[in-house]
Amino acid sequence: MSRWCDHWNQPRGAIISLQQQWLLAQTWYADRLELEWRRKTEEEIDALWQELGFTSSFWDIHS
Amino acid sequence: MTQSVIDKQVRHYIYEYFVKTGQAPTLHHCAQAFSCPPAEINEVYERLAHGRALVLQSNGEILMAEPFSAVPTAFAVEIGNHSWWGNCIWDALGILAMLKEDGRVVTACGCCNDAMQVEIRNGQLADVSGCVHFAIPPKEWWKNVVFA
Repeated sequence: MSRWCDHWNQPRGAIISLQQQWLLAQTWYADRLELEWRRKTEEEIDALWQELGFTSSFWDIHS
Repeated sequence: MTQSVIDKQVRHYIYEYFVKTGQAPTLHHCAQAFSCPPAEINEVYERLAHGRALVLQSNGEILMAEPFSAVPTAFAVEIGNHSWWGNCIWDALGILAMLKEDGRVVTACGCCNDAMQVEIRNGQLADVSGCVHFAIPPKEWWKNVVFA
């Protein structure tokens, strides 16, 4: 991870498990093929982050 | 047809096209499907991109309709004999999740570049070992979504 960050001159951000990533992918894209799809609201994203345990300041979507 | 109705229908058509073919429809294809001039579809694409429902190439064609990528990436998604490109591991797994199918992501480890496959079997990860690194915080993703 450090090698990647050094190579791309990027800070070490957040690391999640593959299992968390799979759960995130399922929730995020569950409705994408529906005609009436709309972007998630900030409140819905906050709730999803809580559910997945993304509680550090890195995940804060409010500027 | 109102602007919001055609926007929804074009977005839906793009996704159906990606699902069937693994590729993005061109502006020309889309215009033919909706029996309207390409310039009108170009305006729809622009509105969808403004609403972050699409990412466009500099020539106005689709680059991303998340989770799909219109161009080859390091995240190939395979279900049987069908394949798609995902924009990142989130999106690659998102394609399997969205299609509700078992399959696999053929990729490489982000830090060492060793070959890596992530398989979904019976709706679950076949091997849960591994992690995902997010370098960019979510509130900055859309400053450069292609890099993020």
